[in-house]
Formats: sequence, structure tokens, C-alpha cells
Amino acid sequence: MAQEPNADPVRSEFSDDPDMRELVEVFVDEMPDRIEAIQNTWSEQDLEGLRQIAHQLKGASGGYGFSPLGDVAMELEYSIRETAEIDEIRQHVDELVDMCNRVSL
Amino acid sequence: MRLDGSSDHPLTVEDERTPKLLLIDDSMDIHRLLKVRLKDERLELISCDNGAEGLEHARRHAPDLILLDLNMPGMDGFEVLQRLKSADDTVGIPVIVLSGSDEVNDKVRGLELGAVDYICKPFDVAELRARVRSAMRISHLMDLLARRAQIDGLTGLWNRQFFDERLAGELAASSRDGSSLSLVLCDLDHFKSLNDQFGHAAGDDVLQAFAKILQRNLRRSDFACRYGGEEFALILPGTDSRQAMGLLERIRDEINRHAWPRHPKRGITVSFGVCDRARDGGFDPVQWIETADSALYAAKHNGRDQIQLAGGAPRSASLPQAG
Repeated sequence: MAQEPNADPVRSEFSDDPDMRELVEVFVDEMPDRIEAIQNTWSEQDLEGLRQIAHQLKGASGGYGFSPLGDVAMELEYSIRETAEIDEIRQHVDELVDMCNRVSL
Repeated sequence: MRLDGSSDHPLTVEDERTPKLLLIDDSMDIHRLLKVRLKDERLELISCDNGAEGLEHARRHAPDLILLDLNMPGMDGFEVLQRLKSADDTVGIPVIVLSGSDEVNDKVRGLELGAVDYICKPFDVAELRARVRSAMRISHLMDLLARRAQIDGLTGLWNRQFFDERLAGELAASSRDGSSLSLVLCDLDHFKSLNDQFGHAAGDDVLQAFAKILQRNLRRSDFACRYGGEEFALILPGTDSRQAMGLLERIRDEINRHAWPRHPKRGITVSFGVCDRARDGGFDPVQWIETADSALYAAKHNGRDQIQLAGGAPRSASLPQAG
């Protein structure tokens, strides 16, 4: 796993905003919990739980200054809602987890 | 539109309290983000993460605006909206839907259920702030309009139409919970001759001065109304006739001692007729008004400048039989 296709950090648009800095930090600090939740729902095939997580990330990520993360979450939410092939959903899960891992201040 | 139980004084049109915003959303992130992003908005933010609690908060806090998520576990936003709009005490609170869904169907449904606006998540902060401000501005103007339609232009007291609705409402409440209630009709003595002698401007001054005296002496829960011409009506919830008499004595005393620059030698007196629960078994507004009016007639007949209790003896006739 040392050779990630893209290991560049994804930074918040608001990392220089003093009002937002603390919030962004909390969001980044809590990211491992979210990743775990995504992986758990996925391994349990709890697609509705997974869709909820993606739905919330879609709505909130932009607010923390991580719009690209919101876009990836949206792709995952829509693929579940449109009952896409499981392989396609898996691809979006992988993309989302990858992006979550790269989120930083 | 707070036309129900609350009795904000009609003259205090500019409200100085901080407006309350209720946020109903199951996403913790949205609560955190809005708390920071709206911190300069002079708003008190009330947060809750589910529909049932949201309804409870809406009733208890009577917020000035609600931001409502649609996609929530348990009671979803549509149901919350429907319930808000079907209850008398929450129907007037403006609601902005704040939803992760950008489906046209959801937007249309939200607006048709009574939301004033629909914002998609992720939202732009500047746009959200502007929409919140716009919704509050419109709601404030609607409040103002609704109140204006119920206020007497000359005195700033509630008008006759408001009085009729309010009296029926207070009688119903009193019959429900057994609380005391008094109704007072007041009439300025010899008002026509004052107008004839000193002109209508002098008459208007007297009406306004009397209105101010009423406002000074009443509690926030009381209602002072201009019943018509030189006649005024007071609805005093939670007040029995003995307490009402004490209050009216103060008012009578103040108007008697008031100085009138336009007619220094011509004092003003007022006659009062009082009716309360103990004196009238029924809860029919028309009956109550007739009873109070009979008492007022007796006060006039007994020499004016006095308070007459329905079915009781005259009080405070400082100039008995003076005509």
C-alpha cells in the first residue's frame, strides 16, 4: 500500500480562515472514525447506512472547505441510490476512502 | 405571526430581543458549521438533531426562523414541516428547507408544504446568510402588517376587531382553565362638549393621553383597546373584579390629576363599567359586553367619574349626582 496512486494531501480552502481553523481541525481529527464507519457499513453490505454517511459528507464537506471530497461522496450516494452494479459502488467507496485518507489542514 | 396567546404591546413595534433560529438537522457537521458561520448574525441558535424534538423546540421557543433538514432518521423533514404548518402556534414561523437533495420534486414538495425557501447542501455560506436575512426580513414585515391591521391609528391601542377576537379567545381560555377574567368598558365623560368647545385636536390629545395612562398601568398580559369614539375596553386575564377595581382607581386618579395645556381649567373624568367571571356565569362575549355596558351606564347615570361593578354598588363617586 506504499504506492498510492495519489498521495497528495487534500487541503481545506479555509485553512487560513481563523474562524474556521478549529472546526476544520476537528473534522480532520475525526476522519479516522468516518473511514471506519464507511468500511464497516461496506463490509456489512449495509448500503442504506453507507448512503447516509455519503449523503452527510456530501452536504458537509464543502462547508469545511473540502469540496472535492463532497463530490466523491455524492458519486457514491448516487450510485447507491440508482442501485448501480456492486463493482461500481465498490469503486466509489475506494475513491471516497482514499480521499478521506488524504484530507488534511 | 404572534397573534395568538402572546400580548406584545402594540406600540412596541421595534423588537429589541435577539431573533431565534432553530436548526433541525441530524448532521453534527451542519450544526458546527452554522454555529461558526452565523456567529456575526445577531441570532440565537437553537440546535436539535431530530424531528420530534424539533417540533417541541418550535412550540416552546417560538423561533423567528427554522432551518429544516429533509433526510433525517425517524420523522423526516416533510412530516415536520407538515406538522409545523398544521398547528396554530407554529404555522406562522417561516421555514427554510436545508437539504442534501437537489431533486426538483423535493423542492416543489417542500415549498408547497409551506417552506419559504429551499437551500441545497452543500451550501455557499454567503448565500445562506443572505437567504436567512431575507426570510427574517419578510417575516418581520408580515408581522408588522398583521399588527398594523389590528392597531388603532390615533391611540396605538388595539382596535375593535382585535378586541372582538381577543375577548372570545380569553373567555374560552377562562372557561377551560377556570382562571379569573375581568372586562372593563370606559367612556370619557362629556367628550362631545369638549370637542365642541376646544376643537377636535384637543379631543385627540385627550384620547391619546388616556391611552398612555392605560398603557402605563396595565400589565403585559392585559389588552387595552379603543372600542370606538371615546370608548375604551380593557381585557384583564387572571384578574378578578377586586383587583380590577384597584387598578381602575389608579387610572381614574391619574386622569383626574392630568394637566391639560389646551384647556387648563377643564379637567377630564372617565366612567368605568366592570364585569368579571363571578358576575357573569356564561362565556358568551356578547353577554359580557352587555353586562359591562350596563355597569358603565349605571356609572354614567350615578354621576360619572366613577367605577361601577356589574350588579354591585357604585364606587368612588367623588361628585355624586353631578350629572
